Amino acid sequence: MSPWRSHTRRSEELDEEIRSHLEMAIRDRIARGESPEEAERAVRREFGNVTTVREVTGDMWSGQSAERIVQDLRWAIRSVIRAPGFAIVAILTLALGIGANTAIFSVLNGVLLEPLPFPNSHQLVFITSQFTKLGLDHFPVDAAEFLEFRERNKSFQHVGAYFVGAVNIGGDGEPPARVTSAIASASIFPTLGVTPRLGRTFTDEETLPNAAPVAILSSEIWESAFGRRPDIVGRQIDIEGQKVTVVGVMPPGFDIHDQKVKIWLPLTLDPAQRDQYRGGHFLLMVARLAPNVTLARARNELQTMLAQWPALDGADTTAAPGTPAKVHTPTTTTHRLRYDDLQADMVGSIGTALVVLQAAVALVLLIACANMANLLLMRAETRHKELAVRAALGAGRGRLMRQFMAESLVLSFAGAIAGLALAYWGVHALVAANAGSIPRAASVALDGRVLLFTLALAIVTGGLFGFAPLLHLSSASIGLTLRDAGSRTTAGASRNRVRRGLVVAETAFAVMLVVGAGLLLRSFWNLMRVDAGFDRTTLATFNVVLPSATYKDSTRRVMFFDNLTSQLAAVPGVQATAAMSGLPPLRQINANDTNIEGYVPSPNAPLQNIDYYQYVTSNYVATMGIPVVAGRSFGPGDDAQSPPVVMINQTMAKLFYGNTNPIGRRVQPGGSKVWFTIVGVLKDVKQGGVDSKTGTELYLHFAQAPATQGFGLRNMHVVIRSKLPPATLAATVHRLVASLDPTLPIVSFRTMDEVFSDAVSRPRFLAQLLGIFAIVALALAAIGTYGVLAYSVTVRRRELGIRMALGSSENGLLSLVLRQGMALAAIGVVVGLLGALVVTRLASSLLFGVKPTDPFTFAGVAGFMLLVALIACLVPARRATRVDPLVALRAE
Amino acid sequence: MPLSRIELLQGTLDMIVLQSLRWGPNHGYGLVQLIRTNSRGVLQVDTGSLYPALHRLEREQSIAASWELSENRQRVRVYRLTPAGRKRLAAERSRWEQLSEAIAGIFTPPTQEET
Repeated sequence: MSPWRSHTRRSEELDEEIRSHLEMAIRDRIARGESPEEAERAVRREFGNVTTVREVTGDMWSGQSAERIVQDLRWAIRSVIRAPGFAIVAILTLALGIGANTAIFSVLNGVLLEPLPFPNSHQLVFITSQFTKLGLDHFPVDAAEFLEFRERNKSFQHVGAYFVGAVNIGGDGEPPARVTSAIASASIFPTLGVTPRLGRTFTDEETLPNAAPVAILSSEIWESAFGRRPDIVGRQIDIEGQKVTVVGVMPPGFDIHDQKVKIWLPLTLDPAQRDQYRGGHFLLMVARLAPNVTLARARNELQTMLAQWPALDGADTTAAPGTPAKVHTPTTTTHRLRYDDLQADMVGSIGTALVVLQAAVALVLLIACANMANLLLMRAETRHKELAVRAALGAGRGRLMRQFMAESLVLSFAGAIAGLALAYWGVHALVAANAGSIPRAASVALDGRVLLFTLALAIVTGGLFGFAPLLHLSSASIGLTLRDAGSRTTAGASRNRVRRGLVVAETAFAVMLVVGAGLLLRSFWNLMRVDAGFDRTTLATFNVVLPSATYKDSTRRVMFFDNLTSQLAAVPGVQATAAMSGLPPLRQINANDTNIEGYVPSPNAPLQNIDYYQYVTSNYVATMGIPVVAGRSFGPGDDAQSPPVVMINQTMAKLFYGNTNPIGRRVQPGGSKVWFTIVGVLKDVKQGGVDSKTGTELYLHFAQAPATQGFGLRNMHVVIRSKLPPATLAATVHRLVASLDPTLPIVSFRTMDEVFSDAVSRPRFLAQLLGIFAIVALALAAIGTYGVLAYSVTVRRRELGIRMALGSSENGLLSLVLRQGMALAAIGVVVGLLGALVVTRLASSLLFGVKPTDPFTFAGVAGFMLLVALIACLVPARRATRVDPLVALRAE
Repeated sequence: MPLSRIELLQGTLDMIVLQSLRWGPNHGYGLVQLIRTNSRGVLQVDTGSLYPALHRLEREQSIAASWELSENRQRVRVYRLTPAGRKRLAAERSRWEQLSEAIAGIFTPPTQEET
């Protein structure tokens, strides 16, 4: 028989047993001449509380844990339902705390804990180069390095290389679309260990020069652009105006380094041309460790490889340090390779941010727990008599403890269920609002691990605050209560201490959280105020990429952008327009070697290498509103036929020309045979991110690009200065581009403010979330302080009444209660500030322009918290002054 | 303090219940009456203590319970001693006698010869 059935039967039998007892007793009394009513009343009185007797007797059987747990749970659920107001407040508080923790944990789980969707993904290593002197890290490798690395290493079973770009593709009668592409070596697929769902991956022959063009589609584009047609393999599709044969379709979600690659194209390399490839860094490598080789062992091998590399490729190893080696190869010193775990590299700095957020929500939950503990403590106080009776009837202290625990667990589980619903909604909102700034967002979901986490949270929180009412179960307090029949004149000193401790703790936690949020808000504020070097109001931008097949020679490209900019400039309401190759404030670094005429390198001098090459049209400086510091900007007189000219930014002027005037000096861009004359110095413009140091920048004229062996000249960003509404402007741009070339897709039409906003999306997202958590923490702490003080005023009504009767003024009472509350708040604030000093250090990498110990933030938060505490104390304090001495003294 | 409010030590109540059942099977109400009568009205067993004690003893198999019809044709739960209960009663009784002799010794003034 199941314990449940036997329990039911026994409890029915017990009912009958008690009923027969009562009936026999009544019958006897009636036989002695009492009236039936009298008899029944007397018997009931004699017997005592039937329910309690039943319960205590039933307990004698509940040695079996299953049965006892079921009983305790029923008792707990009944007792929670009996106090719906309390239950709702408790469950909502917990739902908020547990929900926030679940939501953040599911992001942390998806991003940090969930392994990458590749077999044995821990074997995957991301390989990049490092130029210590140039301050370049995580930099691509050149193609020669890839070929040589693949040949020479012994630690990896597969080495793949790729770079990400974008191509225009024509669908089945669809308008042209611009999609993210990866140009990859055939080896990338075995490296990642993924086979296609249709067709095959690239053969080595397909990566040789002059091979017939082929492509592999992602499942996403196969579905969206080709309607999942099953005969796609072997068909030709239009990519950049060229006919390309589809050889395979990858499984859904297949991607590399979170780039959301939609189409894969072969990386064409000619091993015979190896030496031509040196110095052109554009490839990222992913390699799979051989079985039983650890990353540490591979790193050891790398040191040996780096040491031998220059000699193997004929570099002059005897050259004096500081002068460039004759052959550009990796070395052990200035040009190293680095290995990173692929997943760790993808996650990058968001790891710190997620840990900070998780810590923040943990604080919110602790505050919620403190509030719950206080609530339960007060509730237990009002149920003092019930407890005393149960204890006197023989319900052991252990039993009462278990029942209290059951009650808090029922609450915490209800809170967890509500919290899960909240988290489900919250995670979707979070990911939707921050698609760009959370890596691996697709793997964020409420999975088994998250559910387990929530379950653990429910148990831990329930256990934490469930301890509070147990303080009532000391036998002393129960005896006391029986004697004074449940009046509440004397609340135990230890319980008061606990209550005050809880208020101090939750105030301290809230202070820590608000300080953290304050620092991040200041960081974000600082980021938004960074002078990016140009006027970004009334500025909009979009991206056009010309297909290489249809725009083969550079004159056609220059002509296209000339036409586009002049037609745009003629639109009424448009003030100026121009095109540029790299969009500030966050673009890829170029780090191009550049000869600087007359520059004498010394051992510790910077290398002749420029961070950013910016190809611009004539009207660029005026359109962007970049101040000209010296000389002139490009004008209508500069074109393909005029003498080659460049402008430089202030950082470049300072680094290479110091205090001398750079105007009239000459530079020779990497790979070019032509010398360009510097005609102007421009104010620094942020290119590597708002929060980064400005790099060196060289402005070249778009029309003169062919002379420099041009970089990225098919891919240009057009900027328009106009007061027209963005939507109107976007429609005009679409019409104009289509009239020039209907096969061209337009990419991301945005206002420059939106571009900026996207560039700081992660700090904004962090500041927003932490701000929300801080507000919740603040509200909970204020409610907690209010609750404890209000309760203490109620309990001390008699004392306050006596004080009033003895002549205390209203102000005296007010300050008495206020002093009590504010003392707690002040201790909490001090403890919280000390805690914040320790904790904010961990988040220092997330801050910008503000120290983790920023005195203004600390002082501001302290003042603000005390103000909030004052408000929370004022209400109960004012109630204390309205105590009527007569009523207070008569009460109870 | 009225004697009827004497609180029985737990072990004592068990012994009284077992001893009362030596006179024959009885139900809870009957036991209350019996104990009151036999103690000349001094021991008033609280139902809140009696029923837990009965069920505990039943669980420990010192007594057994069955449903029977009373003389008023009412279904009542009747308890009877088991052999284990008898053994336990004997043990508790000898312990009780030792205890009461010891307490009596404390209250009896010592004689000259013994010192």
